[in-house]
Amino acid sequence: MGIQTEEMMLNMGPQHPSTHGVIRFVVKSDGEVMTEAVPDVGYLHRSIEKIGEICEYNGFMPYTDRADYLSAMNANQGYAMVVEKLLGLEIPERAEYLRVIAAELNRIISHILSLGAVAMDIGAATPFVLALKEREKVNDLMEALCGQRLTYSYVRIGGVSYDMPPGFIERSLKFLADFEPFMDEFENLVPENKIFIERTAGVGVITREDAIAYNLVGPNLRASGVDWDLRRDMTYSVYPKLQFEVPVGVGSQGVVGDSFDRFIVRIKEIKQSISLLKQCFAQIPEGDFLGEIPRVMKPAVGECYVRTESSRGDMGYYLISDGSKNAFRVRIRTGSFTSMSIIEKISRGMMLADLVTFIASLDVVAPEIDR
Amino acid sequence: MENFAIHIHESYLYGLPLSVVNLIVMFGAAFVVLLGFVAPFAGLLSFIERRIAARIQCRIGPNRVGPQGLLQFLADGVKSLFKEDLIPKVADKPLFIIAPYLVFLGMFTSFVVLPFSSQWIVADLNVGILYLFATAAITVVGLVMAGWGSGSKWSMLGGMRSAAQIISYEIPTGLAALTAILLAGSLSLQEIIAAQGPHPWQWYFFDNPFTFIAFFILFVALVAEGNRAPFDLPEAETELVSGYNTEYSGMRFLFFFFAEWAHLYVLGAILTTLFLGGWQVPESLLASVGAESIAARILELVFFQLKIYVLVFLVVQLRWTVPRVRMDQMMDMCWKYLVPIGFFCVAGVAIWMMLFPDGVSFVKYLLIAFSSAMVLYYFYKVYRNFKDSRAELELNPFV
Amino acid sequence: MSSGYFNNIKEATVSLFNGFAITLSNMFRKPVTLQYPDKTPRSVTDLMPERSRSWLKVEMPICTACLNCEKACPIDCIKITTEKDPSGRVMSGFDIDMAKCMYCGLCTEPCPTGAIHFIPEFERASFSLDQMISRFVPEGEKVVPYKVPKKDKDEEKNSAKEEAEDKAAEAEPDA
Repeated sequence: MGIQTEEMMLNMGPQHPSTHGVIRFVVKSDGEVMTEAVPDVGYLHRSIEKIGEICEYNGFMPYTDRADYLSAMNANQGYAMVVEKLLGLEIPERAEYLRVIAAELNRIISHILSLGAVAMDIGAATPFVLALKEREKVNDLMEALCGQRLTYSYVRIGGVSYDMPPGFIERSLKFLADFEPFMDEFENLVPENKIFIERTAGVGVITREDAIAYNLVGPNLRASGVDWDLRRDMTYSVYPKLQFEVPVGVGSQGVVGDSFDRFIVRIKEIKQSISLLKQCFAQIPEGDFLGEIPRVMKPAVGECYVRTESSRGDMGYYLISDGSKNAFRVRIRTGSFTSMSIIEKISRGMMLADLVTFIASLDVVAPEIDR
Repeated sequence: MENFAIHIHESYLYGLPLSVVNLIVMFGAAFVVLLGFVAPFAGLLSFIERRIAARIQCRIGPNRVGPQGLLQFLADGVKSLFKEDLIPKVADKPLFIIAPYLVFLGMFTSFVVLPFSSQWIVADLNVGILYLFATAAITVVGLVMAGWGSGSKWSMLGGMRSAAQIISYEIPTGLAALTAILLAGSLSLQEIIAAQGPHPWQWYFFDNPFTFIAFFILFVALVAEGNRAPFDLPEAETELVSGYNTEYSGMRFLFFFFAEWAHLYVLGAILTTLFLGGWQVPESLLASVGAESIAARILELVFFQLKIYVLVFLVVQLRWTVPRVRMDQMMDMCWKYLVPIGFFCVAGVAIWMMLFPDGVSFVKYLLIAFSSAMVLYYFYKVYRNFKDSRAELELNPFV
Repeated sequence: MSSGYFNNIKEATVSLFNGFAITLSNMFRKPVTLQYPDKTPRSVTDLMPERSRSWLKVEMPICTACLNCEKACPIDCIKITTEKDPSGRVMSGFDIDMAKCMYCGLCTEPCPTGAIHFIPEFERASFSLDQMISRFVPEGEKVVPYKVPKKDKDEEKNSAKEEAEDKAAEAEPDA
């Protein structure tokens, strides 16, 4: 009865325009509809964790940039915090504020790039370029702050490497003033577009239970309706002194936890970051930007785990010290890795075009998966 | 055309039989059209598209080769010529080789019936509009062949998509064109234009509400037929890498793009011919240069081109504004929206013609007023958006 | 059902209209492109901010050969060789492999005199890895390390830096 049909095995990646780096998906498809998409990670493994064991504590800082190059400041901050906890260092308050300013600026540009990439993968090139245009402005700010545009290594153990340059607050506030109308326009251009809604609404729905079971973190978790943000719930740095809301997916297009919700949650987080930055600029105290640090860093024997809220969610650093100048073990826990694990489950029965949307909406960054 | 052939025969090639001379003249004409007309147009359109896209994205665009980058397309063409012509090992060689030419053929044969002015037309076929749709259908054969012949799964998916897409969208295209054909009572493009007039209230676009809707249906359907965004599913680069042309390189690759931009022009020409009065020039203007002079023909050509380029601009802008639709949504749009509305329009026009054989000027003026109001509101919104963005004004298109 | 049908058409038209209004308004905005390298308003090095971490430079006249930078470098791209000479300790080589360097700036921080620092120059791509090595001690020559005067230890760093600037100005023709 009927014609014998066979599933087609497609190799999506490692080189593919929409895998955001070298990730490979083994897709079994029946024409446009696929039955399975199995992610195959490891193409970008650079043994960053192993390098952490042969570098001195300070020397590992530039490598944390490379672990998640789209939000290097957040990665820096997490590593600095874990070493400080191990050493029992107190850091000056101004340094904490500088770190939060840098981290929130970084969160804005990481999210705006992710939003642009979703639009790009759905087929609209303009929002992506416009997003990059705004990202460049922040990159200019970052370059003025620390001298680099992508891999900042701005944070140091015990503080930060530079104080703010003169006029930095004015420049940043001017940027934020121009950025807010841009976000309004971006919202008008992308998430209010009918085709965009049709393409993302109801695509790649992650239920609340699934999101918790698969250990999703950050915006992906919140989009599924879980009200959890480390900045508020396991607070660190100066976040307790700042007022902000945690946006949660509400299912504005019918289902909670679809790609559209993830998109909207990121937009809302950008707006929260803008308000956080304004508060920081208003509150930042005078003082040192780098505290007293020991000349040779030799923490006592022990282990330590610190979690921070990076742009892609819970970023954890686990450090074991054996009392020497180098760490005995460094382990980085990243959000993109867990995001990859859920793709296999959700993607069953999806269309090929939807898989692209789904991956983009999860905001996975290849180097963060493999490290 | 035939007169020209006879003239050539009598003056120069009287030794040869007339049929052979005819053939030579035809090939000569095709050669001239291809080299002197389609190529610069497709190339120029590629330049225009890139510059528009660049400005939409706050960039500058190609501006190094020639004056303001105008010769960029030549540089790209020469580069493509020198590229290695790769043919994959698993490709179905004959299909792989022929496919781009078929695609290109489908596009550029349509130039034969395009009425550039009241007298400048290669062949005023009495079934001109059917011919246009028929030649466009050759393209799909080429695309499927390219998709299958490449021996790549991504290409095949692209080829399949294009087949489904172009065949589906033929129907709304035909239905929407039927409204204009009904009004004009002819299939000849020249006669359809002649039935309209130079002024907007004489265009079929504003003739009645049904043709007004039919114009937009035709617009969407033609965009879809040309594989332009938001209907560029066959080559969706973020999904299928590059769809049917993934495996192509060099000049063959360029032929696909040639066809795409040629189609852009044909799209504008079809819409202009059917709904926007084609080459019609106001008589007072025509009389001032002499109705029979060559200047009048050039004036007609300019009017025709202007209308085409406005439409081309809209299509290009559409590409850089909206995301791509999904396969099932594209089919939904065709079969659930465009086709029923198309039938509705055809029936509406027929009834309208029965009830008001001479048209209703009140409705025409109402439609014109409505359209003008929308255009004004559009420019107001553009102005608001510009003000809100606090960006610097830069009107010079050649920065 | 039927309301959804027409609602879809309405939403699509309205959102398309809004999108068009945005993209057209974009066309009147000033492009942000910087036409590197030949049409920049100023020279590119002037456009770089003061702290720009681009290319490493060592002011040899004030280098103390303390090897702090070599130790701080996480990827060991700095290589300093010292020798015993009748006149004391001399440097026979100070190589920085810029192809390896990841521009983290860790080497500039422990420097007691500020001899190793970044300069806002980056257009030094080259076809061979060998050319990417900056050699601050010419081959066959020996450089005597700078000795910080002991008079005022507190102002050590500041005075050294001032002196460094003076010396750097002198050393400019070499660079």
